[in-house]
Amino acid sequence: MPDIAPTAAPRQPLASRRYTLEIRQQMAWHWQALILALALLVGLGISTAILVAAGVPAGELLNEFVLLTLFDLQSLKAVLFQAAPIIMVGLAGCIAFRARFWNLGLEGQMIWGGIAATAISLFEVGPEALRLPLMGLAAALAGLAWALAPVLLKLNLRVNEIISTLMLNYIAANFLLHLVYGAWKDPRDAFPYSPQYRPFERIPEFFDGYSLAIPLALLAALLAWWFVSLCRAGLYLRFVDANLRVATANGVPVRQVIITSVLLSGSLAGLAGWLVAAGQESRLTQAFYQGYGFSGILIAFLARNNPLAATIVALLVATLFVAGRNLQVFYQIPFSMVQLIQALIVICVASSDFFIRHRIRRTLGRDA
Amino acid sequence: MPNALQLEGVSKSFDGYKALSDASFTVKWGEVHALLGENGAGKSSLMNIAAGLYAPESGHLLIDDNPVRLKGPADAARERIGMVHQHFKLVKPFSVAENILLGLPKRAGSHRARLLETERLVAEKAAEIGFAIDPRQTVATLSIAEQQRVEILKVLLAGARILILDEPTAVLTDQEGERLLSTVRKLARQGAAVVLVTHRMSDVKRFADRVTVMRGGRTITTLDPAGIDIAELVKLTVGESPSLPEHTRNEAGPVRLQVRGLRSPERGGRRILSGVDMDLRAGEIYAIAGVGGNGQSELANVLMGLPEPCEGEVQVDGLGDLLSASPAQRRELRIAAIPADRYGLALAGNLSIADNFAIGQVHNGRYGGFWRLREGVVRADTRAAVERFDVQGARSPGQKAALLSGGNAQKLVIAREFSREPNIVLAHSPSRGLDVRAGAAVHQRLLAARDAGAAVLLISEDLDEVLALADRIGVMSGGRIVAEFERPADRQAIGKAMVDHA
Repeated sequence: MPDIAPTAAPRQPLASRRYTLEIRQQMAWHWQALILALALLVGLGISTAILVAAGVPAGELLNEFVLLTLFDLQSLKAVLFQAAPIIMVGLAGCIAFRARFWNLGLEGQMIWGGIAATAISLFEVGPEALRLPLMGLAAALAGLAWALAPVLLKLNLRVNEIISTLMLNYIAANFLLHLVYGAWKDPRDAFPYSPQYRPFERIPEFFDGYSLAIPLALLAALLAWWFVSLCRAGLYLRFVDANLRVATANGVPVRQVIITSVLLSGSLAGLAGWLVAAGQESRLTQAFYQGYGFSGILIAFLARNNPLAATIVALLVATLFVAGRNLQVFYQIPFSMVQLIQALIVICVASSDFFIRHRIRRTLGRDA
Repeated sequence: MPNALQLEGVSKSFDGYKALSDASFTVKWGEVHALLGENGAGKSSLMNIAAGLYAPESGHLLIDDNPVRLKGPADAARERIGMVHQHFKLVKPFSVAENILLGLPKRAGSHRARLLETERLVAEKAAEIGFAIDPRQTVATLSIAEQQRVEILKVLLAGARILILDEPTAVLTDQEGERLLSTVRKLARQGAAVVLVTHRMSDVKRFADRVTVMRGGRTITTLDPAGIDIAELVKLTVGESPSLPEHTRNEAGPVRLQVRGLRSPERGGRRILSGVDMDLRAGEIYAIAGVGGNGQSELANVLMGLPEPCEGEVQVDGLGDLLSASPAQRRELRIAAIPADRYGLALAGNLSIADNFAIGQVHNGRYGGFWRLREGVVRADTRAAVERFDVQGARSPGQKAALLSGGNAQKLVIAREFSREPNIVLAHSPSRGLDVRAGAAVHQRLLAARDAGAAVLLISEDLDEVLALADRIGVMSGGRIVAEFERPADRQAIGKAMVDHA
């Protein structure tokens, strides 16, 4: 065959391409929801493939994941039990991120929530009937206080909140260890945890084994939603989120808006600490907070900082936790697989943004 | 002359909006070809396609009469097409040479050696076309006109022979613009093909060899600007001739805003504001004229409530000191602010039109108390304002504000700011970047506000605008008001005051 390869790439007419990309400014919310759902499906599909490769029989997977987790009453209770604090940290993430404040200190604020709740229990503050709500209040205030320094530092001295909140986590975690290994250690055994809360200091069950924590978390979600969308602060918050200079020039009280939402975020994280301590562990343990900070950020991201969406995502994350634990028990799949799946889903959803921002059109070029 | 670049039957839409329909355009080697049209006529979209930034849905692109397909700006650069955008694309902390090196194709040799080589090339090219530029200077320290020269050097040194300039004179003073366009014309005479995207009739008339008029995404006609007068060009671009607003001098009322000794902190031996004194009276338009960069932006920011460190007095009738007023107090005064930077200061592009409208009056409780936002009232008000102020392209209150074209975004700002009868209007370059008709609409609103008794401050670098609207004119130079003129003012005298004190 004679050598007829052209030296340069042939010049093609402009319109021969069949598909074009367009930047899309706006997309109806139901399409966005559909794309997100598809992204979730893709993420779950890849996760399934990995689990099957790791030795879980494909047929059993459906059984484990969907049927056993969601349609088994016991597992459903476990999911809801798990979900309440996850919802809280998710909300905490949403509200801070809406004010463009990257609160990576959710765990630190949770820890202080747990510590404050435990202090109320240890020192028997208040009458028995008010003990539990007092613990909650103390937890919220402690979380708020732990968020106060970073926001003031940021607004007054421009200290980067990513660093300050993250570092404050270590201070909180080591102080927690100091307490549970030292002064607050349960004298009855050798483990590093505080004495058990008394029965009236635990979050009660309200209906045949469902923890009251769930309706509390849902209530918090509704309040957070109202805060960001239905009240005046929500409009202010949208402007702070969209463009700080525009907000300032239009008379938005920027400082107050940022402080309010960060403190709200801190107290929600503190409440999450209370929900774990008083609702699940019934005492202060050394690692009760672990993983929540990351989950909170992830949930806020997946939910686009929308509190209602965050609630749903938090339920999914809780399902994943419980299913992961089942897999661990029955198939010796390491728990880190759960984190792998979380990460996969986040990557899929993040990539789906492309389809929300762009439109792919089929065009019939003239000479195509 | 042979054809350099040809676009045939190009169509492009954004999110369902047809920006270009069947547009055709040809520029020949050796000519300056103006692309004239109102805002939103599709000039920039068409040229972005020529520069490989957008992919069209249909149509052909031909270079030297060969069909070409551009996959991106790199392809365009390979075809020796270079575009200078309206908003410069420079890395500010880098030096001139570093910025230019960034745009050159990768080649062997150490970075240091290539940088030195680039510095030499820049100096050579700059001298050749008569630009005064130090290749080692940091871009951030350059003026707008100098940054533009860097952009032009960048595309020239990258080998561009087809030069596209998007609204190059919009940011320049008259003299700077004239110099730039003469240089560009010289480049064309040496054989390059130059496309001049503009909406200034005078530029077209004086510097273009041919002009193509665009309207509503279509190319209407191509003709020789020498054979047509400006009124006819205007008619072609807008479809009809706009009339200048009538101006009658009003009896000015009491002083509403009094500025005394306003100074900004000293930096590098000079102050941007060096003692501004002025009075703004009810029922008058006081215009501040001057060459750009003499403190107008800083003055506008201070008065519009942006944190700008400064000393001095700004007294407002009925309140006292404006500088220490809280946002709420400022709202109470009913100050309408129309900043120059629409999407940087006035509107949040990512938020809805309704949100952007509501922020103007949410403070006074019209849209519910603190605990509630009455979405229904917001939407109804927004719809009414959109209707009343003729904001086009607003299909629903929930639509993103960024989807509005420049002129309509400005109308939305005015709709919001004028929704409560303003006491004081602060307008900074309110018709910059707007087409003739939208600009005239803005001027009408300012005059109407004045006639309703408001005190209007107009800060503008456009002397035509100032002369058409102002009752009194203050010339700003070196950070202060150096001369004041009463209407009718002498254009020459104002121009002299603008440059004499610089």
